[in-house]
Amino acid sequence: MGNNNTVEFIQEKCAVMRRDVIEMGYIAGGRGAHFGPALSSIEIMASLFFNIMNHDPKNPTMPDRDRFVQSKGHACLSYYSALIESGYIAKDQKSTFKQDESILSGHPSRNIEHGIEISSGSLGNGFAVACGMAKAAKIKKENHKVYCLVGDGECNEGIIWEAAMNGAKNKLDNLVAIVDRNGVQLAGKTSDIMDVDLVALWKAAGWEVLVLEDGNDLPSILEALEKMKNSKSGKPHAIIANTTKGKGISFMEGSINWHARVMNKEQYEQAILELESN
Amino acid sequence: MSNAPIDKLKEWSKQGHRNVLGDSLVMLAAERPEMCTVTADLTPTARLTGFRDTYPDRFFDVGIAEQNMIDFTAGLAVEGVLPYAVGLAAIVPMRPAEQMRVTLGYMNLNAKVVCIEAGVRFGPLGNTHYAMDDIAVVRAIPNFTVISPSDPLQIYKTIFAIADHDGPVYVRLTGGPGFPVMYPEDFDFQIGKAIEYKEGSDVAFISTGSMLGAAVEAANTLEGKGISTRVVDMHTIKPIDTDMLDKVFAENKLVVTVEEHTPIGGLGAAVAEYKTGFENTPKQVMASLGDKFQKLGDYAFLLKENGLTAAGLANLAEANF
Repeated sequence: MGNNNTVEFIQEKCAVMRRDVIEMGYIAGGRGAHFGPALSSIEIMASLFFNIMNHDPKNPTMPDRDRFVQSKGHACLSYYSALIESGYIAKDQKSTFKQDESILSGHPSRNIEHGIEISSGSLGNGFAVACGMAKAAKIKKENHKVYCLVGDGECNEGIIWEAAMNGAKNKLDNLVAIVDRNGVQLAGKTSDIMDVDLVALWKAAGWEVLVLEDGNDLPSILEALEKMKNSKSGKPHAIIANTTKGKGISFMEGSINWHARVMNKEQYEQAILELESN
Repeated sequence: MSNAPIDKLKEWSKQGHRNVLGDSLVMLAAERPEMCTVTADLTPTARLTGFRDTYPDRFFDVGIAEQNMIDFTAGLAVEGVLPYAVGLAAIVPMRPAEQMRVTLGYMNLNAKVVCIEAGVRFGPLGNTHYAMDDIAVVRAIPNFTVISPSDPLQIYKTIFAIADHDGPVYVRLTGGPGFPVMYPEDFDFQIGKAIEYKEGSDVAFISTGSMLGAAVEAANTLEGKGISTRVVDMHTIKPIDTDMLDKVFAENKLVVTVEEHTPIGGLGAAVAEYKTGFENTPKQVMASLGDKFQKLGDYAFLLKENGLTAAGLANLAEANF
């Protein structure tokens, strides 16, 4: 994986997904949106949905599909954009984000027909449920994988470590957790709020750990995911992906202010202009 | 379901609800290959050793991590395994309440949470180990069914019945070793359908869990004083059997709810919530653990202290009749 054609194809998907994120976030109006954590995870999501995972949007309940869980559910815009661009959700649904009776709530709500395996957004729980899903695959002797996107701020949650320890105990080598280490959480930098050595913690919990220097670099992500997918370590796998919060929009990159906020017209126009000029 | 294990009732009554649970889970597992048990370091306490040794591939101990026990259980249920999470009533519905809400409840998962030692049976262990508010916590979560069985055979029947009920269920087990056999013969048990244990037209005791024994004894005392007394075994607290409540409200003059729980959010509250929608219903008084932490004492002391004995219930009813 990761040849030029593949990378180019996913790169194009990333561009469209970034635009989806900005459009949906703008549509949310005064309700605001979590732009920063969605944009940091675009390359990870695109790699999973357009290359790594075995899935079929026309058959969302296919038993042997790989499962995806977005534990950092507040980043739902990157999830929804992947589901829209891969065909689980119609493009005209974009305008319903955060609107009354929409299926596109501010945190993912279980909807298997549209590719959403579980409800998530209460931090830590999605990952812990994903561990149970991976165990179920083992019990049922099914060969599919479970991929789970975890936030670096989310790793403050105690249940992450309860579940990580249990995942190692159960030898869940069919589970790949990708930590979107964008360095910013709700109230500030992760290094200010809870400065921990995530690599050491995941290793101590018994996981096979791989660090990605640039988690927004597609060839690197594809290589890391392939490596973990095919690993014979017998351990569950964690990819610590160093990403850029708000990646792709100059005034959002690395900004604490764009974890979640309302976007005005000028900001929207500038964001679209930047995306079009890239 | 297997034939009712009548031959075990005497032994189960002597041993208490933990053994009934442990044995019932093993019996259920023999019939339901998709069923498994999850616990958080409670194997000997919850009498799960037999299950672990009989079905090691279907037994999962997550360590002392109740929140993860619920989420792990949720993940298994998402994928169609039938998990029974077993915990302490004092810990589980409260510490992982949020997990029970956002995973089991919100996703309406087919998972069961069975907790031992509800109420104050842990006596000398103190208030950290009393479950006085668990019904209130779980009852507030949409989609959850809440059941508190009244005797050994009803526990057995509950464990089997919830396997056929699609959705999250919380089972609270009360009563220590020596809790009475209230159903010596096989009987019809349906989730959500209360059992009229004894007919009567003046007072109506509506009890849940192992309080049924004291309620029946109190009813007999009242009958001796010329007060006709009905006893309802309200094993399912949510959804509550409103048909039975309609009958009680129409025919009885005083309602006494009986539970090993705070009066806030439990059986008494559930009855009162339903009753408030109607005019001309009888007065209700609640026999409960009160809205307080308890003094230290053994189980019998604490029940007596809170009026949850046959004498206490009879006195409460008589004083309010």
